[in-house]
Amino acid sequence: MYLIALKMLIGNKGKFFAMIFGVALTSLIITQQSSIFVGLMSRTVGFIFDTPLPDLWVMDPKVQFVDDIKPMQDTKLLQVRGVQGVEWAVPLYKGSIRARLANGTFQTCNVIGLDDSTLVGGPPTMAIGKVSDLRLADSVIVDEAAANGKLAKPGPTPQSPKTPLKVGDLLELNDNRAVVVGIARTTRTFQSQPVVYTTYSRAMRFAPRERKLLSFILAKVQPGQDFTTVARRINAQTGLAAYTGPQLKGLTIRYFMKNTGIPINFGIAVGLGFFVGVAIVGQTFYSFITDNMRYLGILKAMGAKNNVLFSMIVVQTFLVGALGSGIGMGIASLTSIISKNSELAFYMPWQIPVVTVLATTLITLLTTIFSLWKVIRLEPGIVFRG
Amino acid sequence: MEPAILCQQVTKTYGSKDNPTLALRGVDLEVKAGELFMLVGPSGCGKTTLISVIAGILNRDGGDCRIFSQDLDAMDDGDRTTFRGQNVGFVFQAYNLIPTLTITENVSIPLVLHDVPRAEANERAREMLRQVGLGSKLDTLPTELSGGQQQRVAIARALVHNPRLIVCDEPTSALDHSTGAEIMELFRQEALKGGRTLVIVTHDARIFQYADRIGVMDDGRITRIVNSPSEL
Repeated sequence: MYLIALKMLIGNKGKFFAMIFGVALTSLIITQQSSIFVGLMSRTVGFIFDTPLPDLWVMDPKVQFVDDIKPMQDTKLLQVRGVQGVEWAVPLYKGSIRARLANGTFQTCNVIGLDDSTLVGGPPTMAIGKVSDLRLADSVIVDEAAANGKLAKPGPTPQSPKTPLKVGDLLELNDNRAVVVGIARTTRTFQSQPVVYTTYSRAMRFAPRERKLLSFILAKVQPGQDFTTVARRINAQTGLAAYTGPQLKGLTIRYFMKNTGIPINFGIAVGLGFFVGVAIVGQTFYSFITDNMRYLGILKAMGAKNNVLFSMIVVQTFLVGALGSGIGMGIASLTSIISKNSELAFYMPWQIPVVTVLATTLITLLTTIFSLWKVIRLEPGIVFRG
Repeated sequence: MEPAILCQQVTKTYGSKDNPTLALRGVDLEVKAGELFMLVGPSGCGKTTLISVIAGILNRDGGDCRIFSQDLDAMDDGDRTTFRGQNVGFVFQAYNLIPTLTITENVSIPLVLHDVPRAEANERAREMLRQVGLGSKLDTLPTELSGGQQQRVAIARALVHNPRLIVCDEPTSALDHSTGAEIMELFRQEALKGGRTLVIVTHDARIFQYADRIGVMDDGRITRIVNSPSEL
């Protein structure tokens, strides 16, 4: 009877495609909106992701997330180095500095100042040049997306295409001369500002005058030492907070979840997607079942038991659910491929397709239950009605 | 010989307790095996209700009704469905063929429902369709056929699993005279084979001549039974 069930379903092309469209749309909305949400959340921790070397990130205890810089005194670095279990500790500057572009406009950049001697915390991948080129005078490394976009040199007219920034080009950072010595590939950040790497001492020169400028201390824990224990010691001896990379990521994501409208906005979109799916698929399938009540009644009159009719409906909804969610997730995956290296924050970990499949399964299940209820109440006497 | 259908004082009421509609008011009926019995009468007299009770798709409220000595009301829903599937074939005025299936698939349904392997079911359906004169249209869809041809498919579907009883609701009403006559000839040739019983509900006076007996219904009762149309 399964083949007959499928032919009954597919034969009604209009409703069949409407149901698949409904599930596909739902699946697409849920997958895409969730992926963009996860993508945005990932961008908030992009900088931590790009800095995997240190075991501990040490900072002012009032810091709420990675971009919430509360500068410390430089002497804190020496205190951290003195804590038992710390193998090494280096300073890191992270701050916003205005760059003046060739056409006179300004662009705020996220300047990262690396320890002069070790260059720990440098860009993960270099597209052009080497991280060690930062030892050259006035040198900076610029991220590839900014070099091709926000920091690219404008053409002679506003309509002319921009010329990407290249090695040897000059930048003006807070009235200081900077020479581009490399182009780096970095993970995009939440603010999407250009990322400019330089040395810590040079960053001190670029940064506006402040009493305290040390943003983070990156520390390595001695082999065999427990990260949590060392972090606790740092806190006890210096009054600073010390987090592992995953802890700082968690802190940052929790901050954005709690203090921004991002989760509620995307939650509404995902929820709407689900309800749109329930409405479209439920209504169309219900109408499909209603249209077929006469034939189901005939099958029942001819000897089809309720369990046979149920299994026919389950097969029909399963096919619609599988095809629809497959198409929806396929389109979402295509978006993922197309949007790679673009401004669109799209990241689809394996959990999202699983959630989408669960959601579409729930929709088809609800639809099935709704339809089965109608079939349970089906009187075979319907066959003799005109 | 045991009658195929034996109904005594069958009653059936529709509607609520406050506003009941008596559809059957004590029907007595006996139909022999191998007989073509027609039920005639004005609209709303209870003909369709009676064949629904006889076919086991509607429960009666009172009286007794046995089909091949079986009281269908005494069976649970599953047993009644199985009995119906094995012993009853249906032919409807509007054919009620599933439009998205070929006529072979439509005819094979009663067999598939009784777990006959698909290949065998299709072969038996094709054979049945050849018997009703549709051997050249085995893979067509019902909508591609004329009304008479669709009714032939419906008859093939009603006969393919070799039931002992066939109930027909206005099988010729949607057909012209000659096609209706062809269908009735087909019923006499194929449907009555092997002592099968036919009960036909009809308004169509043109086919009364094919009946062995005719029961006249009025206001929920069979008022008389005649042996030929001239007695009506």
